[in-house]
Amino acid sequence: MKRVEVKLSLPVVAPLLDVIRELSCDLEKNLAAPQALHDLDPEFRGAWIGELLAGQNDDLRALLALFGGEFFSEGIVAFDETNAEPIVRACTAVRLHLRERRLKSLSDESLETGDIDMDGLDEITRKAFMCYLFLATVQELIIQHLDSSIIGS
Amino acid sequence: MPESRSHTRTETRQASQLQLEDAWRVVVLNDPVNLMSYVVMVFKKVLGFDETKARRHMLEVHEQGRSVVWTGVRETAEAHVFSLQQWHLTAVLEPDEAR
Repeated sequence: MKRVEVKLSLPVVAPLLDVIRELSCDLEKNLAAPQALHDLDPEFRGAWIGELLAGQNDDLRALLALFGGEFFSEGIVAFDETNAEPIVRACTAVRLHLRERRLKSLSDESLETGDIDMDGLDEITRKAFMCYLFLATVQELIIQHLDSSIIGS
Repeated sequence: MPESRSHTRTETRQASQLQLEDAWRVVVLNDPVNLMSYVVMVFKKVLGFDETKARRHMLEVHEQGRSVVWTGVRETAEAHVFSLQQWHLTAVLEPDEAR
């Protein structure tokens, strides 16, 4: 089984976990990317959303489980074929929610390019943006190292 | 003969109606959050695209705001939309009026 271990900086990443946990709680009952489902039968729509939400919650649990004892003792997180997919999806869910809840003051263009003056941001927005970048980095790492063998078609 | 002609006409109407009902498009819309590499990976995984096709559709989404990634029967289109939404892409179902 292919496994990728990454050593993270505890002082940098640990404070971001509060943001991830808080947003994950918020996402328990809300889809990260509200979808236009008006073309579906109302009864079917409820089941559809319920299934999306259940999957989203499973993914978020996998992301939070990444930051367990090994992370707090050694700063190490590990990706493998069992957690790679749910974590990549969960990172997207949290990033989408961060944009909606914490990064509204930043333009979409700035978010896409990452061209943002960190010193000009207030503390909450700065932390949210760091979290946004951190989760993107996790995604890139997984996609780069595990794509062909695990996530790829 | 008349009975047979009527039968044929009914069949033709039913067939064209079915064809219309069955022609659906899966459209992916742009968002400013998802990474390009992520969208390419999702297209490969969910729709079975190769790297070149996945990148072409990703760039279409990025530059034109939307891309029709699949066309066909409603049931399969719904399954694709659901899978794309599981990966948090904004995917919608549209009747394919071109067919």
